[in-house]
Amino acid sequence: MSEEINQYIKSEYAAGFITDIESETLPPGLNEDVIRFISAKKGEPEWLLEWRLKAFEIFMEMEEPTWAHVHYPKINFQDISYYSSPKSMADKPQSLDEVDPELLRTYEKLGIPLHEQEVLAGVANVAMDVVFDSVSVATTFREKLSEAGVIFMPISEAVHKHPELVKKYLGSVVPQRDNYYAALNCAVFSDGSFVYIPKGVRCPMELSTYFRINEQNTGQFERTLIIADEGSHVSYLEGCTAPMRDENQLHAAVVELVALDNAEIKYSTVQNWYPGDENGKGGIYNFVTKRAVAHTNAKVSWTQVETGSAVTWKYPSCILKGDNSIGEFYSVALTNNFQQADTGTKMIHLGKNTKSTIISKGISAGKSQNAYRGLVRMNPSAEGARNFTQCDSLLIGDKCGAHTFPYIESKHPSAVIEHEATTSTVSDDQMFLCQQRGIDPEKAVSMIVNGFCKEVFKELPMEFAVEAGKLLEVSLEGSVG
Amino acid sequence: MTQAVSDFHQQALSQWVGKSDKFQRLNADGSKAFEALPFPTRKTEAWKYTSLYALTQQDYNQAVATFDGAEVAANYQVDSLDVQQWVFVNGQFQANLSTQKNESGLHMVRFSDASAEQLALIEKHLGQVAENERNLFTALNNAQVQDGVFIYVEKNTQLTQPIHIVNVTTQQGQAASAFNRCLVVLDQLAQATVIEQFVSSDAEQDVLLNQVTEAVVGNGAQLQHYRLHKEHESSLHFGGVYVDLGRDSQFNSYQVLLGGKVKRLDVLVNHNEGGSHCEMKGVYLPKNDQHVDIHSYIEHKAAHCTTDEIYRGIMADQSKAVFNGRIHIHPDAQKTLAELSNKNLLLSDKAQINTKPELEIYADDVRCAHGATVAQLDETAKFYLQSRGISAQEADIMLSFGFINELLDSIPLEPLRVALRPLLAQQFSSDRALTQHILHDEAGA
Amino acid sequence: MLSIKNLHAKVEEKDILKGLNIEIKPGEIHAIMGPNGAGKSTLGNVLSGREGYEVTDGEVIFDGKNILDMDTEERAREGLFLAFQYPVEIPGVSNLEFLKASVDAVRAHRGQDPLDSVSFLKLAREKCKAVNLDQNFLKRGVNEGFSGGEKKRNEIMQMMLLEPKLCILDETDSGLDIDALQVVAEGVNSQRDPNRSFIVVTHYQRLLDYIVPDYVHVLAGGKIVKSGGKELALELEEKGYGWIENGAA
Repeated sequence: MSEEINQYIKSEYAAGFITDIESETLPPGLNEDVIRFISAKKGEPEWLLEWRLKAFEIFMEMEEPTWAHVHYPKINFQDISYYSSPKSMADKPQSLDEVDPELLRTYEKLGIPLHEQEVLAGVANVAMDVVFDSVSVATTFREKLSEAGVIFMPISEAVHKHPELVKKYLGSVVPQRDNYYAALNCAVFSDGSFVYIPKGVRCPMELSTYFRINEQNTGQFERTLIIADEGSHVSYLEGCTAPMRDENQLHAAVVELVALDNAEIKYSTVQNWYPGDENGKGGIYNFVTKRAVAHTNAKVSWTQVETGSAVTWKYPSCILKGDNSIGEFYSVALTNNFQQADTGTKMIHLGKNTKSTIISKGISAGKSQNAYRGLVRMNPSAEGARNFTQCDSLLIGDKCGAHTFPYIESKHPSAVIEHEATTSTVSDDQMFLCQQRGIDPEKAVSMIVNGFCKEVFKELPMEFAVEAGKLLEVSLEGSVG
Repeated sequence: MTQAVSDFHQQALSQWVGKSDKFQRLNADGSKAFEALPFPTRKTEAWKYTSLYALTQQDYNQAVATFDGAEVAANYQVDSLDVQQWVFVNGQFQANLSTQKNESGLHMVRFSDASAEQLALIEKHLGQVAENERNLFTALNNAQVQDGVFIYVEKNTQLTQPIHIVNVTTQQGQAASAFNRCLVVLDQLAQATVIEQFVSSDAEQDVLLNQVTEAVVGNGAQLQHYRLHKEHESSLHFGGVYVDLGRDSQFNSYQVLLGGKVKRLDVLVNHNEGGSHCEMKGVYLPKNDQHVDIHSYIEHKAAHCTTDEIYRGIMADQSKAVFNGRIHIHPDAQKTLAELSNKNLLLSDKAQINTKPELEIYADDVRCAHGATVAQLDETAKFYLQSRGISAQEADIMLSFGFINELLDSIPLEPLRVALRPLLAQQFSSDRALTQHILHDEAGA
Repeated sequence: MLSIKNLHAKVEEKDILKGLNIEIKPGEIHAIMGPNGAGKSTLGNVLSGREGYEVTDGEVIFDGKNILDMDTEERAREGLFLAFQYPVEIPGVSNLEFLKASVDAVRAHRGQDPLDSVSFLKLAREKCKAVNLDQNFLKRGVNEGFSGGEKKRNEIMQMMLLEPKLCILDETDSGLDIDALQVVAEGVNSQRDPNRSFIVVTHYQRLLDYIVPDYVHVLAGGKIVKSGGKELALELEEKGYGWIENGAA
C-alpha cells in the first residue's frame, strides 16, 4: 500500500528555472578580503566592517555543529562565492522602470507582484522587497508606507539612512558568536530587509520579502531585521525559491525580530527552496537562525510552511523577556524524496506570566527524514509561565522517518509545561474508505494531509494560506498512471 | 582533555581493571571503549544536564565490605517475601547475610562459583546487551567485571518466589569505588521476578557504586523487574539495566529512585523479535541537593511489539532531575504501539527538571505518542482540601502522593507495595501525623 | 444487477472464498449469513476491490460490466457502495469536505455538474436529519470521535447521498443497540427502490426483522451452502450454524 501511496506524491518543482542574466560574481573563496569587498561594495561605515571582521574571527574559531539529525557532506566554504549581483543592478536603478526587464520577468514567472498598480488591482495588500542573489532588486510601496512612518527598505540602504537603528539592533538578538552559521552570516551577509514600525503604528499593509538564489555556486546570506516599536503591529511574509541545479547551494540567513513593549510581530514563511531531485541530487542547504525578543506584553508569532531545501536546519525562536509576553510557533514541514529537515523552535521564558504555544506538523514521504527539535526553557525568573506544545508527525510510505526531540527545562515551580506528540500514518483503511466513496487516491492523500495541517494553515495570512495549500498539493501531486 | 579528566581515566583503568583471566575479551573491549570515550562535558548530549566534574577531583580506592552493612541489610528485609536474598556490601558478596533455597529450574550462582555449564552460559550472554558505547560507566563495568550474580531460569519454569538482591553501601573513610554485576537469563516460557535493591548506611557516603544488570528474556518468557533505590543523600550511583526481549516475551519494570547526590540510571530495552511487550514504570523523588538522571532507550527492532512507559517525578528543595526517554522505531518495526509519558511536579523555586521525551521513527505503520508535563501542585485542588479542614501541609502531601499513587498501585507484588508506601510517604514528611491518611489507605484495603 | 460466478479469492496467501455464486436482480435484498470466519466480510472487500484481496478465479458482472479489473474508486463511481463494519476515522478531514469530494466524483462520473456549496450543504443537512445525526457532525473529522452508532448512521447517510445501485451492508448491525438498529434499518428501507439492490451481510437474524430480505444465503467455508427465503434466517437462529455446516460437510 505504501508503495502505492508513494507514487502519488512525486513532486514537481515549479520554480526551478534559471534566469539568464549577466552577473557580477565574486570568485569562490572566503577570507578577509572577501568581507572587505562586500563591505566596500555596500559602502558600509567602518564600524560595520569591524563588526563583520570580528564575526569572521569568531567563525574561524568555531566548529561546524553535528548535533542535528541531518547528514550531508562537509561543506567546503572556500568553494562558495559570497557575492553575486546582476550587472544591471550596479547602476542602482531608481525605480522599477529602470530595472532589467529580464529580472522583472523572473518575478512575473514566480507570481510575485512587483508593479504597485497590479497589486492594488488584485486582492493582495502587500508591499514587497525582492532580493536576487546578494542584492535587493526593488522595494514596492515605500511611499505609501512612509506616510505611516513605516520604514521598509533593503538593509544595505538602512545602514546609510538609519544608522542609529541598525547600529542599535543589529546583532542584538542573534550575536556574532551565537552559532556557526550565524557567525558566517554576520561576516558575509549581503542584503535583506529592514523594517521599522514606529510607536503605536499598525502597519497599513502586509510586508513581504521574496528571496531568490539564481547564480551558480553562490551562497545566499541575507539578514533581516524587524523592529516593532512600542504598541505597534506588523505582519511580515517571506518566500524563497531557487533554480534546479545539480550542486548543493548554501543559504545561511539570520532574521532578528525586536518586539518592544506591547508590540506585535507576525512573521510567516513559505520556504520553497529547490529541494533536490528525486535521487537527492542538488538542492539548497538551508541553515537559518531566526530569533525574536519580546518585551513586556509583546507578542511574536512565527508561522512557517517548509516544503523545500535538501537539508533544513532552522529553529525560529522567541526570547520572552518581558512580563506577559507571548511567543507562538506554527509549523508545517513536508519532506519528500531525500530531503532532510531538522526544524522546530526554542521558547526561552524569562519574564513572568509569559506564554508560548508550539504547534508543529511534520509530514515525511519518500525517503526523507523529518525531525522536530524544540526547546522550552523556563528560567528561574519565569513565574507563572505557560507552554503548550503539540507536535504531530504523519508518515507517508515506509522508507521515511519522523523524529521528535523536545527539550524541556524547567527551573520555576509555577511554570506549567505540556507537551504532546503523536505519530501516525496515512493508513490503508483510510485510503480504502476514501476510494470506496469514489475519491481519487491522489485527492485522498491531499485531503488527509491538508486536514493534518489545518491548525497551522489557519494562522497564515489569507493569501498565503491559499499559496501554502497549493504548494503542498504540488508537492503531493504527481503522475497518476 | 584536561589533566584532571585524563587522570580520572588513568586511575580508573589502573585501579579497577581486573587481573584474572576470566572474561578477558569483555574486559579488554570494555577498557578500550572506556579509554576511547571522551569524558562527558555539558556538550555531550547524554550528559548535558549531569556534571561529572566532581568525580575527577579525587582518587578512588577499591571499596571493601564493612560490618555495619549487615545492620542496613536487615532493615530492608521484606517480610513474607524472600526465598532468595543475596546481600552485597560495597560490591562484596556477604554469604553470611544471604539465604539460598533451592527451587527447581532455578540456577543462582556467583560467576566465581559457576559450573562449567553455567560458565558457558555466562560467557555467552555477559556483555552482549550492555553495550560499551552506551555509557562510560558501563564500559568501565565491562572492563573490570570478574564476579557477579548469575540467575538462570530453565525452560518452562515459573518461579514461585521472587529473587531479592540487596546492594548496600557504607562509609569507607576515603573515596572508593565498588562494582557489581547481575546477569539474568530466562529460557523459553520461563517466568521470574527479580528485585534489586540499593540502600546505604546513615553515614556520609564515599563509595561510588557502578552496577550493571543485564537480562536476556527468552521467547515467551516473562520477567518482572524491580529496581528500588533508597540511598543516602551523599551517595554516588551509576547504574545500568540492559534487556534483550525474545519473541512474545514480556518485561515489566518498576523503578523507585530515592536519595543520592548523583544518581544516573540508563535503561535499555531491545525489542529484538516480534510480539514482545515492555511495560516500564518509574518514580523519582529527589529532594535537598539530590540529582537524579534517568536515560531510557527503547529500541523497537521488530514488528508487533508494544511499549508502555510512564515516569513521574516530584522535585523538592534544590534538587534536580533529568529524564531522557527515547523510543526508537527501526525500519522493520511495523505495527508498533508505543507510548511514553513523563509528568513532573516542581515543589520549590529552586528545584529543576530537564525532560526530553524523544521519538525516532523509521517505520510507517506505527502508532506512537509521547507526552511530558511540568507543573506544580494544583492550587484549586489544594484549596478544595483545605476548605474541608485539611491543613495546607497535609494537603500538599496528599496531592504529591496522589501524583505517584497510580504507579505505586500498579505494582503487582503486594508485599512490596505495602513496604514501599511508608517509605515513599517518608519522603514527603517524617511527621507521622501528616502522612497517616495516605498510609491509612493501604492498611484499610 | 450483480452476477457472481465461481468466485475464488485469497487474502495473505490464504484461500477464503472458494467458488461463490450469487445472482442479484434489481430491487432485491439478499441477506448473507454465516459463522465467523466464513468469508462474509471478505466478500464485501473483494467486491469493492480492496488491495490485498486477490481474486484467483471466477467473474463478477455488475450492471453488465466486469468490475474485477476496476480500481476501488471506479467501482464506487459505477454505483457500488460498501457500508463498513468498522468505519475508519480520518482526523483533520471534515465530514463535509469528504462528502463533497465523494459526491462530486460520483456525479462527474455520471456526467453531472458538481453541486454548488450551498445546495450541497442543504442536501447534506437533509440527509443528516433523515438518519437522526446532528448537523455538527458535518463539521467534525470523518468519523472522528463518533460513537459506534454514529459511525453506522454516517455510513447510511453517505449511502443516501451517493444513491448507489448496489449497497453492501457489512455487519452494519454489529455493536448497535435495538434503538440504533431501528434508525439504521429505517434509513436503509427508505432507500429501497426497484432499481437498487442490497446485500445485507450479518451474523444475526435480528437485523432481518427490520430489513426484510427477499433471499437468505448461508456462507460457510467460502461458498454458499444453502439458500432460501426469509424463513431460512429464523431457522438458522433457532438451530445455529452448526446445522448447516454439518449438513454441508
